[in-house]
Amino acid sequence: MKTPRIDIFKEALKTGVVTKKYPFEPVEAPEGFRGKPSIDFEKCIGCEACVNICPPNALSVEIDTKRGIKRVMLFLGRCIFCGRCQDVCPTEAIKLSREFELSSLNSKDLYQIVELKMAKCKICGRYYATVRQILFTAKNVPKDQRPLLLLCDECRSKVSAKHISYARW
Amino acid sequence: MSLKLFRRSLWVYHLNSGSCNGCDIEVLNIFTPYHDVERLGIKLVASPRHADVIVFTGPITRETLPKAIRAFFAVPEPKAVVAVGSCACGGGIWYDSYAVIGGIEAFYRILENYYKIRLPLTVYVPGCPPKPEAIIYGIAVLRGVLKQKQRKTYFLEKEVPALTRDFIVNLEKYMKQEGGINIGKK
Repeated sequence: MKTPRIDIFKEALKTGVVTKKYPFEPVEAPEGFRGKPSIDFEKCIGCEACVNICPPNALSVEIDTKRGIKRVMLFLGRCIFCGRCQDVCPTEAIKLSREFELSSLNSKDLYQIVELKMAKCKICGRYYATVRQILFTAKNVPKDQRPLLLLCDECRSKVSAKHISYARW
Repeated sequence: MSLKLFRRSLWVYHLNSGSCNGCDIEVLNIFTPYHDVERLGIKLVASPRHADVIVFTGPITRETLPKAIRAFFAVPEPKAVVAVGSCACGGGIWYDSYAVIGGIEAFYRILENYYKIRLPLTVYVPGCPPKPEAIIYGIAVLRGVLKQKQRKTYFLEKEVPALTRDFIVNLEKYMKQEGGINIGKK
């Protein structure tokens, strides 16, 4: 069946203009859109859960043993916006917003860096965890066990092994 | 810094340098009637010799590297580069694969070492894949129509409480006193 061309024009006039005026008018992303992840500096405890789960290693961690600082870095230029970091974060410090306007003329602008101070082991003097992480863990530990948190992993296992052996004999 | 060289229409050459097709579909999306960037004078051309801007989608793979170099040099000066997608920006999820050289920065490193050229103006558009509006925004930043929002953020923890035996055992008491330690509060 042949459609007269005039009908197509009528149909087009009925529909009107669908084109968005985007760069000159703001547009909001829909609900549930996974946009820019951002780290809340006040909440981050430096537990590395997000670093372990991140598939493209957009989140990375460095430990500066001289200054005693743990550096958590988020590079948006490698992020695939999967939202796993948001799922595993124990303190809800990292969250995906609906912001999508991330373009930049310099790749250094795509970094988010958090530097947290670390605590020294009371026995061997090695930096082992951030102060915030110890305080966060201490809330869920009974009071008599808490002094063990001030030791690094190796010293802690040695001390607790000693306790056990004393209890037995 | 925006491009004052291109006062008129931008002609774009789209080069798939090893992409998974996600970003390519989004690049095609912005030419549909819904987003229609041809109203802004942006046009897709078939040859890099006709183009002002070269759009890279995907990481630079080992296989496409010689082709990407040839296409890059075929674009006449002055030119600009748009890296669309996370793969083109920094290697993406394939950044440590044996077959992938890396993002646009690794590509530039090769160009600098072997050809000694001045690098063109580059816009990074992260996203996996980026929203069509995000690509339009990237081009708007390139033209200087809109300002760049994204900035590097840096935080250094200044003061921490001294961890003593007394402090950690009576943590609840100290938290009530100072009220400053709200770590992990939901």
